[in-house]
Amino acid sequence: MSSQIVVKVILVSIALGAAAVALAVPASASHVEAEITTEGPAALQVKLRSADQGLPIANAAVTLSADESFGGVAGRVELGQASTDQNGVATVRFHRLSAGDHQVRIEYVAPSETEPEVATAFVTMPGITSQVYRSSAGVHIPGLNVSLLIALVATVWAILLSVALRVIAIARAGADAGAPSPQPPRGRRADKSISRAGATGGR
Amino acid sequence: MEALGNQRSRREGGGPLAAAEPRASWLSRLEHAAFAPVTETSRWYYLWVAFLLLVIAWGVYAYSHQLREGLIVTGMRDRISWGLYITTFVFFIGISHAGTLISAILRVSQARWRTPITRMAEFITVVALVSGAIFVIIDLGRPDRVLNVIRYGRWQSPIIWDVLAITTYLTASIAYLFLPMIPDLALFRDRLAGRVAPWRIWLYDLLSVRWRGTGAQWRSMGTAITTAMILIIPIAVSVHTVVSWIFAMTLREPWNSTIFGAFFVAGAIFSGIATLIIVMAVLRKVYHLEEYITEKHFVYLGYMLAAFALIMIYGNVSEYVTTGYKLEEGAEFHFRQLFLEQFAGFYWFYFIGGLVVPGLLVLFPRTRNIWGVVAAALLVDVAMWVERYFIVVSGFRVPLMPYEPSSYAPTWVELSIMVAGFALFALLITLFVKVFPIIAVWEVAEDQESIETAPARRPLAPGATLDPAEGG
Repeated sequence: MSSQIVVKVILVSIALGAAAVALAVPASASHVEAEITTEGPAALQVKLRSADQGLPIANAAVTLSADESFGGVAGRVELGQASTDQNGVATVRFHRLSAGDHQVRIEYVAPSETEPEVATAFVTMPGITSQVYRSSAGVHIPGLNVSLLIALVATVWAILLSVALRVIAIARAGADAGAPSPQPPRGRRADKSISRAGATGGR
Repeated sequence: MEALGNQRSRREGGGPLAAAEPRASWLSRLEHAAFAPVTETSRWYYLWVAFLLLVIAWGVYAYSHQLREGLIVTGMRDRISWGLYITTFVFFIGISHAGTLISAILRVSQARWRTPITRMAEFITVVALVSGAIFVIIDLGRPDRVLNVIRYGRWQSPIIWDVLAITTYLTASIAYLFLPMIPDLALFRDRLAGRVAPWRIWLYDLLSVRWRGTGAQWRSMGTAITTAMILIIPIAVSVHTVVSWIFAMTLREPWNSTIFGAFFVAGAIFSGIATLIIVMAVLRKVYHLEEYITEKHFVYLGYMLAAFALIMIYGNVSEYVTTGYKLEEGAEFHFRQLFLEQFAGFYWFYFIGGLVVPGLLVLFPRTRNIWGVVAAALLVDVAMWVERYFIVVSGFRVPLMPYEPSSYAPTWVELSIMVAGFALFALLITLFVKVFPIIAVWEVAEDQESIETAPARRPLAPGATLDPAEGG
């Protein structure tokens, strides 16, 4: 009985060891070997070479993705795509990943192949000390800015001030005219001394 | 109820002032009608004010509960974070267009029939703005931080635009209410001395700014009114446009609309006209203003109501047909909740009860009278509040991410505060009427003078209709 347990433990250990080797950097799948390195907090560099001779694989399309979660929703996020150069190197740039370990999925199609191959690697992203995302939204139209808004509001309030000054003018004219006397309700037409042109008020 | 036919025959006879009636007698009646709300107070007035104060007191209690416990006592949560308060805020800002905009448009177009109703329209504006602005503060979880909008606000934010627009509109509306009231305040100052409390005379004296009716004063007032009425139209349009932008500039599927601004402005004028009709009907009945506010005023405002109902129907069709034809994922969810599920009752009441039926009530000759127009106005006001409710709540309900849609149900706290807000609106109107001239006396008198001095008109041909542009 105990010998069976020992055999099972050995088999599980071998399986885990094989899995660890498969996931370790550099990752390899079939005849291509992929090596991944970090290029700062917002870029990863993938190097592809043939597994047998170690020659760089040029013009291969590489897609990187990672399992991430945001706001309680988990899923695979595509980090970006790039093609390898003559040295077999492709640099994928993306919005920054959070600091720490990330499991990155490398998917590539070698020039002579039709089916994509997939490898997995762990990368450790450096710590982030600046703003993760900087908005570049908006189109800057010359002259259309906050100054225009302030000028508009100031103009409206200046016109309102002119109305207030008219009220002051009414009060001054009343002071010049002397004490009030009871007057019947009447419109301007009843006052013969009124200049019609200046007192239309839009009526 | 006075029939339009009677109006017509009176016009043919030379105007409201019958040929046999001395002018002094007509002016005396006009004076009495203007003074009566100020000088005469019935027992019902006190009962009405006491009732409104009780409702407001209950609302204050509910608000104090909200202040103590926080917004958790409301139905609002993180996913649907606006409810009755913002709905009522938008509704009040909407009906504020009753006044100033309608009054200014009628002044600009020189529609003479407006004179008995402009004052009411103008004070509805001021009262509605004050009542509406309070709801923004009530909606804040921390009202003590309200000044942070100014201290830390950003010019790029529609919230700041809203604060600027409403503040400017309130100031301009107060000016526009005050300016044409100056001669009437002077009349009250001169005629009511000894008949009312001294503080009122002091108030009339202060606010009439030494008005003596000199030519220079008329000229200054004419210029000031002209300036204010031209200025206030774009300000009023900007106010409700900016209110709509608070929605339309937020990333929510139902609010992704380019016509939101125009739609909100049209809806504001629509509900504003309805509110004016209701207030007119109440004040006409309570203060016996039947001679000055006639069926003609209701019918003309009813025509405006019907015209805006058509504009609103067009806006609905245009908005939903274009969005529905493309039907993106979020729109599909929104259409389902709006037309078939949670909000279907609200929407179809709004569309049929608030747009179609009021239009028909005004257009059918049998219901084109005071009662018909008032019924249409009541339907419109209720429907426009409902419209704001489903715009606000259904907009928040569309999920932004794959989670279960949230739900919102107002609590007793929100309902109490909302009802108190409407009571405050009614109370402010009641108090205003009790202190200030309810009718623009000098404008009505001037209108009468112009009719008396105008050349005699040819009798209307049989079957001819009264042209609103004539100014009736």
